[in-house]
Amino acid sequence: MKYLLFTVMLISLILFTFITGCSKSEKGITSFEDAKTAKLGVMTGSTGEAVARKKFPEAQVNSFDDIMDAVAAIKSGQLDAIITLFPAALQVSKKNPELRLLPEALDKEDTAIAIKKGNDDLLASLDRIISELKSDGTLDSMKGRWLKADLSPYEELDIKLPKEGAVLRIGVSATREPFSFVDEHGRVTGHDGELARLIGARLGRPIEFSNMKFMALIPALQSGKIDLIITGMTASAERKKSVNFTQPYFANTQVMIVKKSASATAGAAADSKTALPPFLQSIATSFRSNIILENRYMLILDGLKTTIVISVLATILGTLLGALVCFMRMSKKKLLNLPARVYISILRGTPVLVLLMLIFYVVFASVNISPVLVAVIAFGMNFAAYSAEIFRTGIEGVDRGQTEAGISLGFTKVTTFLNIVLPQTVRRILPVYKGEFISLVKMTSIVGYIAVQDLTKASDIIRSRTFDAFFPLVMVAILYFLISWLLMQSLEYLERKTDPKSKRSKVACA
Amino acid sequence: MIQVEHLSKKFGDLVVLKDITIEIKTGEVIAIIGPSGTGKSTFLRCLNLLDQPNGGSIAIDGVNILDAKANVPKIRQKMNMVFQSFNLFSHLSVMENLTLGPIKLRGISPKDAELKAMELLKLVGLAEKADNYPDELSGGQKQRVAIARCLAMDPEIILFDEPTSALDPTMVSEVLSVIRRLAKEGMTMAIVTHEMDFARDVANRVLYMDEGLIYEEGTPQQIFETPQKEKTQAFINRVRSFTYQISSPDYDLYAMNAEIENFCEKQILPKKTRHSLLLLVEELLQIYTPGLHGTRLDLAIAYSEKKETLQLTLESSGEAANPLESNFLPDELGLTIIRNLAEDIEFQRVNDKNRLTVLMRKTL
Repeated sequence: MKYLLFTVMLISLILFTFITGCSKSEKGITSFEDAKTAKLGVMTGSTGEAVARKKFPEAQVNSFDDIMDAVAAIKSGQLDAIITLFPAALQVSKKNPELRLLPEALDKEDTAIAIKKGNDDLLASLDRIISELKSDGTLDSMKGRWLKADLSPYEELDIKLPKEGAVLRIGVSATREPFSFVDEHGRVTGHDGELARLIGARLGRPIEFSNMKFMALIPALQSGKIDLIITGMTASAERKKSVNFTQPYFANTQVMIVKKSASATAGAAADSKTALPPFLQSIATSFRSNIILENRYMLILDGLKTTIVISVLATILGTLLGALVCFMRMSKKKLLNLPARVYISILRGTPVLVLLMLIFYVVFASVNISPVLVAVIAFGMNFAAYSAEIFRTGIEGVDRGQTEAGISLGFTKVTTFLNIVLPQTVRRILPVYKGEFISLVKMTSIVGYIAVQDLTKASDIIRSRTFDAFFPLVMVAILYFLISWLLMQSLEYLERKTDPKSKRSKVACA
Repeated sequence: MIQVEHLSKKFGDLVVLKDITIEIKTGEVIAIIGPSGTGKSTFLRCLNLLDQPNGGSIAIDGVNILDAKANVPKIRQKMNMVFQSFNLFSHLSVMENLTLGPIKLRGISPKDAELKAMELLKLVGLAEKADNYPDELSGGQKQRVAIARCLAMDPEIILFDEPTSALDPTMVSEVLSVIRRLAKEGMTMAIVTHEMDFARDVANRVLYMDEGLIYEEGTPQQIFETPQKEKTQAFINRVRSFTYQISSPDYDLYAMNAEIENFCEKQILPKKTRHSLLLLVEELLQIYTPGLHGTRLDLAIAYSEKKETLQLTLESSGEAANPLESNFLPDELGLTIIRNLAEDIEFQRVNDKNRLTVLMRKTL
């Protein structure tokens, strides 16, 4: 316990120096002219990225998956400006007093709903619905309610959705306030959330959101995992090659976010003097906005639960599968031995993220399968390759004489293995197995790619609302550490239990 | 009880057992002796099918265990094995080592199994170690536990595979005395061993194995006192030998002397004996050298550890003639030296060859 506390304190200390060390001010950008050789942040695969490369060929362009990552980077001085869509930029400037928007737009573009090629009937009805919403003023009203310059709460329409019928699966990247984000009840909402519900209501179909990484949306659409993408996606020429778009429902612009000049931010900081020391006060504020507000701790708890479920189930699956692969690997028959060797070398030589996406978008492309299950399968398969080799070294490490003694006593090969070799193997491999297990727990942080809301994804969602990079990340780091620590304790308990001598010491104590 | 017929076993191209036929009767204690690598352990391991034989038959109480239908695990319960390296189950306590088999295989209740185990541990003198783990025992203690583990299965025969080879010399006797006690109680046993005195005491029958065969068998008296065959004699008398071949008068004397010295060092012969041996060889070769054209001379030196004797054998082709009696010699000096060093000199004509056997005088 002592060492746990110590670690937590050490992490806090390092982060404290990091945070304070990063708050140096630089000369600000006031026009596009200034940005020519600047460090620019853009969203991966967005039209903003193309614009940035075309208009600022000498600038250093960095791509980010999510806007809050870019915001964290500009705040810590790693970027000079961010190029992104107006609604997102508006949101960022509202929540970050030290940032502002440059008034002119860099580029105009259309936001539309993406749909799989060949799905023409649905495309036609969507086009019809968008025309209706345009003509009856609904889209204008939505724009007024969701794209606000102040921080007053959003007013959302109450839309009745049918309970029965073919589910319309909507792909979103809900880290893009105000288009799509997760509200205090854990629902996907925003301008596009509402639009999706309106469409569902008009089509008479229930809807289901699939919240995934932005770059994973188009593969998901193509593989049939989702029916539509409604998440402020620009109908770019590049994307039109792979998917179809409806008529635009929103006329968008690319704008640039820059830092306010140093004097302006200094003035703002001077106002906020209170009794608490500034560091503690900022922690308290961060805690409130990241954890308490909008019941965000529920997101964290749900994420935590998902992370634990995936880790534990993947470990169980991986162990069982690993035992099978190990059995095949140790067989003298080439028919069993060779596939196991191939399995082990392929699975160990492939990043688990790639495996995860392959299973989700290719193997189970046309099957409606829970992404959590896919994560369990992918991590289980990956874990199996490692555990199979761990088991093999463990089994081969047991002296051949032990097996011979068992057999000559009258045990069969199988009962010798179960009664004599296996207990010795377990004791031998637990330390290595433990390490592999911990690394699995941490590896699960990538499941956000296939729309699973785990601990890391929960922190992404929170960061997308609060634009506070540090607090959610530190908190998630501590939580991962705690999970690993607790799970490690349980394995260590097992390790102690399988040490035969512990039994005797207990007897001696009693 | 066990009837082995024409048993053979090879590992790849290496033939380890050629043709073994033997019967082991209930109550017999059989010691299997012989040089290393002659298939003694393999024979034992074939008996309970730890190694699958390539040919022949093994019948136990009339049941051929090489038959595909035979319930081998069940049969193995009747003949347990004690290994050179003990092979106690390292994750189990001494008590659990003894009770695992009876509980899991013979369906004996844990309570009864423990009572029986305790009795057996008393028998081997290790009752107080019941709760210890194998890695806390000495080698001799481990081997005694292994014997008790065998006994716990109530076997009809115990196979001992060099039970004392991995032990410190100080621990050999504690294990042997346990085996002696079992022999006295009438246990049927087959023991592969290098402890000759023990084999002689404890066995009713001794098998000398060599060349993948049961080379000679008999009562301990027959094998240890009057072995009939040459290899058996050499083994029993613990004979170490050295051979050298000379095919021309210009042989490399220094190389040969170095090899002889090397051989003597290995047998830890005193310096004086070494000098006498070299002198004897030199004088003998002096006599042989003039006649070496076109003939071959085989020189063999045999040292018997048991009798502490050195014996030289010189075999040469050519016409029948005792070289010591021919008249090539310039003087009698060499011959005198040879007679002084030798206790006994014998000449024979064997296989068209002149064989001169010289037994060196012991006091030298």
